[in-house]
Amino acid sequence: MKLLPDTSGLDKRKLTWTSLGALAVVFFATLPFYYDVHNGQFGVFFFNVFVYVIVAQGWNLISGYTGQISLGQNAFFGVGAYTMALLWFNDVTKTGYYFDPVLMILSGVTPFILAVLVGIPLLSRLRGDYFAFGTLGMGMIVTVLFINGGMFTGGAEGRMLVPKMPEGVVFNLRTHYWVAFLIAVLATLVVYFLTSSRVGLALKAIREDEVSAASHGINVLKYKVMAFAVGAFMAGVAGSIYGYYLLQVTPSNVLTSNWLFLPILMVVLGGTGTILGPWLGAFVIYLISWYGDSFFAGYHPIISGVVIILVMLFLPSGLMGLGQKVPGCGRGGRGSR
Amino acid sequence: MGSLAQILVNGILLGSMYGIAAIGLSLIFGTMRIIFLAQGTMIVLFAYLTYWSFEKAGIDPYLSLFTVVPLAFVMGLGLFYLLFRKAAALEDKNVSLLLAVGLMYLIDNLILKIWSATPRGLNLSYSGAVLVVGDIRVPWLRLALLGLALGSALVVYLFLKKTRVGTAVRAASEDMEATTIQGINSVWVCAVSFAIGIALAGVAGVGMATVYSFDYQFGFTFAIKALVALALGGMGNVFGALAGGLLLGIIENLAAYYIGIAWIEVASYGTFMLVLIFLPQGLFGRRALVKKV
Repeated sequence: MKLLPDTSGLDKRKLTWTSLGALAVVFFATLPFYYDVHNGQFGVFFFNVFVYVIVAQGWNLISGYTGQISLGQNAFFGVGAYTMALLWFNDVTKTGYYFDPVLMILSGVTPFILAVLVGIPLLSRLRGDYFAFGTLGMGMIVTVLFINGGMFTGGAEGRMLVPKMPEGVVFNLRTHYWVAFLIAVLATLVVYFLTSSRVGLALKAIREDEVSAASHGINVLKYKVMAFAVGAFMAGVAGSIYGYYLLQVTPSNVLTSNWLFLPILMVVLGGTGTILGPWLGAFVIYLISWYGDSFFAGYHPIISGVVIILVMLFLPSGLMGLGQKVPGCGRGGRGSR
Repeated sequence: MGSLAQILVNGILLGSMYGIAAIGLSLIFGTMRIIFLAQGTMIVLFAYLTYWSFEKAGIDPYLSLFTVVPLAFVMGLGLFYLLFRKAAALEDKNVSLLLAVGLMYLIDNLILKIWSATPRGLNLSYSGAVLVVGDIRVPWLRLALLGLALGSALVVYLFLKKTRVGTAVRAASEDMEATTIQGINSVWVCAVSFAIGIALAGVAGVGMATVYSFDYQFGFTFAIKALVALALGGMGNVFGALAGGLLLGIIENLAAYYIGIAWIEVASYGTFMLVLIFLPQGLFGRRALVKKV
């Protein structure tokens, strides 16, 4: 006799967030139909936000959910961008190249392998701060290697991809917008399903107390390396998308510390270890640097510095922490060092 | 043989800069457990202040030690109470890390606005003076840098061993909670060690100004070099950090000579990774400290 489905078992809050999220997805996915993303400035704006969201979600997985602070995301981003650029430049896979799915997956796979190779020795022996040191060192080495790569990487000049554009393909930001948005949503879904499954329980257990997690039969190393590698995969794919946008991949534009610190800032501002935090953070931070750039040209790095400091002083638990305790939004608990 | 000895000497002299910075980092990391990435930027800032006081007022850089270092100490206290006090107490280390990064962005770009991007360096009347021993040539200024490093290591060592605050700092690096239970004001301990860390950045800044040319972008790399030196030497040991700095200097000079200038960074960061993986306690650190981290 029920006319309406029984909603008493549903979590109201979850329902609200899911429907808001679905609305936002529909809005952003259809935006190019009634807004010219190629010429309008919001196209570039949203494209950049989406790219940052992908990197930020990757960092969120390893550092927000698993509690291992990685300072090497810029290396993964750069390696991803270079994988795409070098394969395309040297015509290795003989596929379509411009937004070629094969290339994009490969540019996620290379950082994934790098993360596993670096992650196993670092994560099995080091905890906490030492892992952060190690990933920082890895990022610096990768940067220097690409600068010194000579003929292979093009050195400081990088690789120019414009002449390699296939004939008849028009550079239209609409493609970039959609691809970046799709990948950003996919990355968010991957992080969501990973963290709401058994894997997520294991990751959070490791974050809260590693010794206790290990004594409950969790293979700590396996899960940490997995989170690290999946995060690296995301950064790499984001790198390839950004490479398609720049069409010139150089150490100074894909390996800068911006790709390391801005995603971290976005996650922390949005709310570490929350699924929507990176989105919120990316919008706010990129908005600030966007308008900072147009109103105070030349002063915007100073403004970014001030913003970082102010956010950390007054909002250390992020925007998502402003509301109430959302399930799964808890900050790293006591003793999670 | 002469050239190898020259490389070693050059390495030690270069490394003394890393050593001073590493001692500062080790104090800050020891008590507050934060990676103070802005250390290099602070050093560059103080190098500019030294440069400024020489250019504008004609103050000899070694005299400006007496103004820059106390200024750095006070600045350190101010920064701590303004920015890091609350963050240092948080379990979440991302906050302090990002605060340091924000400070780095801010100061780097302030330097860029005030002094422009042109690399600066001091040209002193005695810059060219060289000590010649056999076939090894050592510029006096660089030798003074080593003296500065040894001197500041000694001062910090005596401070840690002989004063009450120093003892508290050592206790806090071992176990912050137990220290607080003993009735030690943990905020003050953190403030003092942070301020001394910045004061050491002041010493390193003066040293840098006398010998090297520097620009606004130098800070980040330098902070990481100091971190490498610290990892090499090991936590919780003043002379260990200094030795790590000297060793890093030697490694870089050897790499520059035998592999090539472009590969210096690969050599030093490669050493960093190897040390972190195979010898996380460093050469002179204590194993117990690593386990707890």
